[in-house]
Amino acid sequence: MTSFSTRLKRSLAIALAGVSMFSVTSASALEITVWCWDPNFNGATMKLAAEKYAAEHPDVTVNIVDFAKADLETKLQAQLASGTTDGLPDIVLIEDYGAQKYLQSFPGAFEPLSDKIDLSGFAPYKVELATLNGQGYSLPFDSGVTGLFYRSDILEEAGYTAADLEGITWSRLIEIGKDIKEKTGQILLPIDPNDAGIFRILMQSAGSWYFNADGSVNIANNDVFKAALHTYQDMVAAGITKPVAGWTEYTGSFTSGDTLATVTGVWMVGTIKANADQSGQWGIAPIPALDGVEGATNASNLGGSSWYVMSSAPEKEAAVDFLSSVWGQDADFYQEILVNQGALGSLLAAREGEAYSASDEFFGGAPVWQNFSTWLGQIPSVNYGIFTNEADAAVVAQIPALTSGGNVDEIAAAIEAQVNQQVQ
Amino acid sequence: MAQSGFARNEQWNGWLFVMPALILLGLFMIYPILWSLWMSFQVGRGMNFSFGGFNNILRLTQDPVFIRALTNTLTFLAIQVPIMLILALLFANALNDSNLWGRSWFRTAIFLPCVTSLVAYSVVFKSMFAQDGIMNQMLMALHIIGDPIPWLADPFWAKVVIISAITWRWTGYNMIFYLAAMQNIDRSIYEAARIDGVPAWARFWYITVPMLKPVILFTTVISTIGTLQLFDEPNLITNGGAPSDSTLTLSLYIYNLSFRFMPSFGYAATVSYVIVVLVGILTFIQFLAARDRRA
Amino acid sequence: MSNPLALIGRTATYLLLLLAAFISVFPFFWMLVGATNTSADVIKGKATPGGALWTNIVVFFTSVDMPRILFNSFFIAGVGTALTLLVSSLAGYGFEMFRSRFREKIFGSLLLMLSIPFAALMVPLFIMMANLKMINTYQAIILPTVASIFIVFYFRQATKAFPHELRDAARIDGLKEWQIFLFVYMPVMRSTYAAATIIVFMANWNNYLWPLIVLQTNEMKTLTLVVAGLTSAYTPDFGVVMVGAIFATLPTLVIFFLLQRRFVEGMLGAVK
Repeated sequence: MTSFSTRLKRSLAIALAGVSMFSVTSASALEITVWCWDPNFNGATMKLAAEKYAAEHPDVTVNIVDFAKADLETKLQAQLASGTTDGLPDIVLIEDYGAQKYLQSFPGAFEPLSDKIDLSGFAPYKVELATLNGQGYSLPFDSGVTGLFYRSDILEEAGYTAADLEGITWSRLIEIGKDIKEKTGQILLPIDPNDAGIFRILMQSAGSWYFNADGSVNIANNDVFKAALHTYQDMVAAGITKPVAGWTEYTGSFTSGDTLATVTGVWMVGTIKANADQSGQWGIAPIPALDGVEGATNASNLGGSSWYVMSSAPEKEAAVDFLSSVWGQDADFYQEILVNQGALGSLLAAREGEAYSASDEFFGGAPVWQNFSTWLGQIPSVNYGIFTNEADAAVVAQIPALTSGGNVDEIAAAIEAQVNQQVQ
Repeated sequence: MAQSGFARNEQWNGWLFVMPALILLGLFMIYPILWSLWMSFQVGRGMNFSFGGFNNILRLTQDPVFIRALTNTLTFLAIQVPIMLILALLFANALNDSNLWGRSWFRTAIFLPCVTSLVAYSVVFKSMFAQDGIMNQMLMALHIIGDPIPWLADPFWAKVVIISAITWRWTGYNMIFYLAAMQNIDRSIYEAARIDGVPAWARFWYITVPMLKPVILFTTVISTIGTLQLFDEPNLITNGGAPSDSTLTLSLYIYNLSFRFMPSFGYAATVSYVIVVLVGILTFIQFLAARDRRA
Repeated sequence: MSNPLALIGRTATYLLLLLAAFISVFPFFWMLVGATNTSADVIKGKATPGGALWTNIVVFFTSVDMPRILFNSFFIAGVGTALTLLVSSLAGYGFEMFRSRFREKIFGSLLLMLSIPFAALMVPLFIMMANLKMINTYQAIILPTVASIFIVFYFRQATKAFPHELRDAARIDGLKEWQIFLFVYMPVMRSTYAAATIIVFMANWNNYLWPLIVLQTNEMKTLTLVVAGLTSAYTPDFGVVMVGAIFATLPTLVIFFLLQRRFVEGMLGAVK
């Protein structure tokens, strides 16, 4: 096959050498290309970083290319799989759940950064999840530290204050939800039956994951995971959830007042604050802890992403220097992206800054960022492994069984069976 | 002598005309097809693979996700293709009446969906079938339903949305094929039947349908291939097979195996040859069925 | 003619057609209304026009480099369509006009090739393009689509209706085979070409998965990619997305209305 394919390739190359329509040649020297996925969020922060860097390095331009997140992952995977480095960017943004998948399946594709950039100043759990064989591969970007975002005005109507949500468990939240429904007739939480995010939040809050540290599947006999399944089942049975389909319906549900709260990552702040008319009507509490599980905490993580440098990058040195000098140490920069984009970075030193201690009238004058920073320090570290997408798909496939009141042990066993089948 | 020279010339010209297409197909179809055929016997992750014989085929039989994707795809095929083709046939028959007022308007309107842009159409359908979307609003205003239907969050209704979307998009396209074919049918046959007192439905069933058999066969084969490869709608409208794999299709599963999951190209290639085999079998059956009825 | 049964049948036909036409056109109307509303209103399912049209248009044009994106889309779809029509109609003509047992076998095998899902061919195709140094170029997108099996089928069917006397007459006049194709066949079959133009242009314009993989920079992106990108932000602005959707739909609509008159005629030839 190899010789056949190379021969074919060679003859192809000859045959098509003459074909040249509008070949776009790569631009001038010292252009750092970055792939990211949300022009209003990570794209915007990268743009600001680029401006900062360009002020001191006028010869360097940063070219930011944004794709839809799923599209970017498809592109990256197709390109890495093809084994060609042509057209890869210098820097790419990867969601943390996928970190180990890319690092382990495409060895040598990413540049180790721990020798070149001081990673000790970042939140340790962020550094750890992109560490392979003792080498750190990412420059940690935003954290996905979670919180319980809720409509304080309506909860107050039902007789609940911020203190009532502090340090509670899920069974307590379900009680509160039922009480609110009785008093106001409103549903507490939107829930997307096709999104396993809530399970990832629940598991990590008690320091567990779909996989053991050695990568073996840990689902059917995982008490934390089963507690998460129970919690989900109880929430649905209690009638305090409303099904939504997809991201837009989900965010639309609580920003329009159709539902009253959601448990999600800190990056949701921007989406919520976009509804200026709801200022002062929102509060953020730590998430509830799982009931009766060892190691349960009130802190977890959802999403979050980091910057990676490609080993093949034509401007590798410049890319590393750029990340190191802006993203690696500029605390002022982190204040700006916090204020402008609501991006909570992972650089610990940045927390001493002014923006982090400011209180936010939108959230009833609470020191929102301070709180998130505190919770950030409490997130249990877990190893996401390399098959999180497969496990998510297996969980989602069993959600109808779960909501219709199926046996949790059997459901967990079915999920494990599917994951085992998929990871071969 | 002249005769054989002419034949040789014919041969030569025949090759010249088809050559550009064949060269391009050879480059951009045959090589990838051979690659994927070879890959379907490989097992492993990413680009680290080894020869696995028939392991991938074995894996198919034990894979619940594959079974789900196959079941969904065949469900779409069995329900959507007949509905669409029957509707197309009915519309074409109605529009074939030259006394019909506004027929070119109707024809244009019904054909319009198939020239829409893919992303536009998926965005619009997603928003129309949202929980608070216009679909639920209309159905509730007409008192057809009391509570909003969770179109995209419920496994059954999500399938309904996908079937409606594809039917919306392609009915007019197939209708045009039928309409064109109907205009080739000699009008005098209808006149004779009408004079003999044959009712309209019988004229449709005993004259139009048999005359259209080749076109019906053609559209059936094309629609079968299209539906077996269904990818865009479940990818864009139901977010990649949501909810709970209820709209997961074989093509989407191939995509997931290659680009979303830990890449397993060998297995993905095996799944794609399932589609090829299915197309082969179904086309064969369709040709047989078309021949039988003629006899 | 005026018996009550016929009248009922007539009314039912009109009702059916009106309903079908309404359902067919409604999503277009919905898209237009959406473009005039704010994102929040689109999500809520507001069915009446709002006042945000201008804002949405401004936001769309500031966030998207429209001239460049439109050029990319038109160039890819336009050149792709022209080449596809030429190459595929040559082949359809060749298969039909010059029969040989061997070519019939090739033709038969094309149908099976048509049935392989594209997702399975993407990786090898990408490797090929990379080896040819064609990543992020227009030709990487255009070339794989030029020999369209479906269009070859279509032209072969249509060629069956091409009057052989014309060809014979042209031969007697001493025209070479390529001249017959160029000066006799193509003008005679212009309706067939018109119909094929609509189908091929539409397919090229909507091409999504492959350009997504092959195009790497903002300057090369097509409108389809850009609009798809708009929908997947953390907080998508659906009013703006609807504006994008309109721009993504307009060109295919315009092509359709321009060629409409010839369209049914063209399909007619293909199904004889």
